[in-house]
Amino acid sequence: MILGPKRSVLVVDRSEETREVLRTALERRGLRTLAASRARRGLELARQHRPDLIVLDIESEGTNSEETYARFARQSLKNGTALLMLGHLRPSEASLGGEEFIAKPYHFGPLIRRIEELVEATGQTLARCA
Amino acid sequence: MPSLFVIRGNDQGTRFELAGEIVGVGRDSSNLVQLHDTEASRQHAEIRHAEGSYVIADLNSSNGTFVNGRKVEEHRLASGDQVQIGGTLMLFTRPAEETGEDLTDQISIASDRQTGDESHIIHSLSHAEGSRIFRPEADIPQNSWLARARSNLQVMYRTALAVSHTLDIEQLLHRIMDLIFEWVEADRGCIMLAGAAGESLEPKVRRTRKGVRTGQKITISKTILDYVIQRNEGVLTSDAREDNRWQSGASILQMGIREAICVPMQGRYDMVGVIYIDTSTSPQEVIQKGGATKFTQDHLKLMIAIAHQAALAVEDTRYYSAMVQAERLAAVGQTIATLSHHIKNILQGIRGGSYLIEMGLTEHDESVVSKGWKIVEKNQNKISALVMDMLTFSKEREPELAPANLNQVVSDVVELIESHAADMEVELRWEPAEEMPELVFDPEGIHRAVLNVVTNGIDAACECEKAGRVDVATRYAPDEGKALVVVSDNGPGIPPERLDSLFSPFVSFKSGRGTGLGLPVSQKILTEHGGRILVESTPGEGSRFTLELPAVMPDSARQTIVR
Repeated sequence: MILGPKRSVLVVDRSEETREVLRTALERRGLRTLAASRARRGLELARQHRPDLIVLDIESEGTNSEETYARFARQSLKNGTALLMLGHLRPSEASLGGEEFIAKPYHFGPLIRRIEELVEATGQTLARCA
Repeated sequence: MPSLFVIRGNDQGTRFELAGEIVGVGRDSSNLVQLHDTEASRQHAEIRHAEGSYVIADLNSSNGTFVNGRKVEEHRLASGDQVQIGGTLMLFTRPAEETGEDLTDQISIASDRQTGDESHIIHSLSHAEGSRIFRPEADIPQNSWLARARSNLQVMYRTALAVSHTLDIEQLLHRIMDLIFEWVEADRGCIMLAGAAGESLEPKVRRTRKGVRTGQKITISKTILDYVIQRNEGVLTSDAREDNRWQSGASILQMGIREAICVPMQGRYDMVGVIYIDTSTSPQEVIQKGGATKFTQDHLKLMIAIAHQAALAVEDTRYYSAMVQAERLAAVGQTIATLSHHIKNILQGIRGGSYLIEMGLTEHDESVVSKGWKIVEKNQNKISALVMDMLTFSKEREPELAPANLNQVVSDVVELIESHAADMEVELRWEPAEEMPELVFDPEGIHRAVLNVVTNGIDAACECEKAGRVDVATRYAPDEGKALVVVSDNGPGIPPERLDSLFSPFVSFKSGRGTGLGLPVSQKILTEHGGRILVESTPGEGSRFTLELPAVMPDSARQTIVR
């Protein structure tokens, strides 16, 4: 594994508790975390900091979920960022592909392992590109 | 929007809105109208919308498409049509077509003075008097045809009244039977109904004329019944047949004559049952009356008309109860969905907290353990709040009145929710009334009521793109005898169509974050205090909730108790 700048994960979740748990757990694993409670702020952070992975709670976006999803999907395509969604889209909303969904309620153990794997994978892609 | 409402089948209670030019109907999930019915084909039929009309077309389905009981290839749907696909029966409805003109322009209700209309009431008749319209007047000579026609009209009028007064099928059928017995000299009668799903006929009402032996079983000839059901025609039968075999009349003299009328109850869509009456004439009566029968063609015609009226009423009642049942099921479903969503979020929090505790224990890091414990505790409080809300909502309770200060109660709420507001990036401003005397109310109840309304305001405020803000203020209005708590937010506002269901339990518009209990509970608490909640909302600008509490002074409360 090449040494580079610290890997980062952006957590966009309305629940302060979830952000807190993910931040504590991920930082202990040597990842930098950014967090936002609202999608709007989350997008700003994604543009500014280009994290390796975005974890987005799509379910609590409710009626805006489709639009929010589309914005994040575009942003992550542009930056080559992996996207992990918590919750699910309604069946009528088509997925753009490439992102992962984890249904709620989830267990934190497997979620954090998956986050690590995804960050690892983007790291390798970047290394190959370089 | 036109819709198909499932009144029978696995999807009972579902309403499919027919949006789009072509709407697929079938078992496959690609259909907008997806039926969970094994007798339906994957792509069974489609509904095409063109130039204001809706046409259902069968797509070579295995079991066919039926409209109002008839198999169709293509059929233009009208409101009220019943569409059957496999074991699923659906009702097609569409809003009345716009005529393009506003009738209110053409018809107006105005006071007499404005229009100069000199009309005045010269005679009035109460609703109950209506049937007397058909009563013969004593001084006018009667011709027998006219008398009969008038009496028939009166019977029909009373049938119409009888069916319009009840939604209870049994009661309705008893009324119909009473009417028939008043008007025709029948000895025995019964009404048989087919079940709502078209099962075999079952007797529902049985009536015997006074003086006729009651223990006797009514035997209806199967031949007659089959004839009525299959041909959908009413019949008048008599065993005094005027055919060749009827030579001597000897058996009439021995047995008397038995006559019967059996008519189908034909409704809008189906035959819902039959009405049967019969009478026996003894040999002596036959001789006295010279062989005249008791039942005539007129009786038959009128019976058919009565049965039709009754059938329409039975059908209406059935649809009504199917609708009520379906709505009830939908409400239960909504309740469960909202509650489980909320509980799921709490569970998620508890899992997060437990994860941190476990991590902290493994790594011997007490700070992580305590972080995790705080989260678990917070979620315990959430569950307890949910249970309190459910209890408050479910039982009638008396507020526990005590002298308290409204400013203090609201201030506690603001303090409690401040961190949540900050978390949601909503600015929370609190402006207590300068003058607020100690009043008598249930401090715990009002705390809960205010908390729910403020939480709601914060949730609304963070729905908007702009910076969220919630203002909480109290006011004391001694002239009106009220104390007020005003909570305003700058959220998206409440669309007018949602205002009605704002205080209905388990209806949450907060995309699953609410329990659907907050506002209903607040309203209930205020109502228990003799107060109320007023809502003003401007879509796009925000909403204002005003909690009005009657200002009861501690002294006057004590006096009331002493008295």
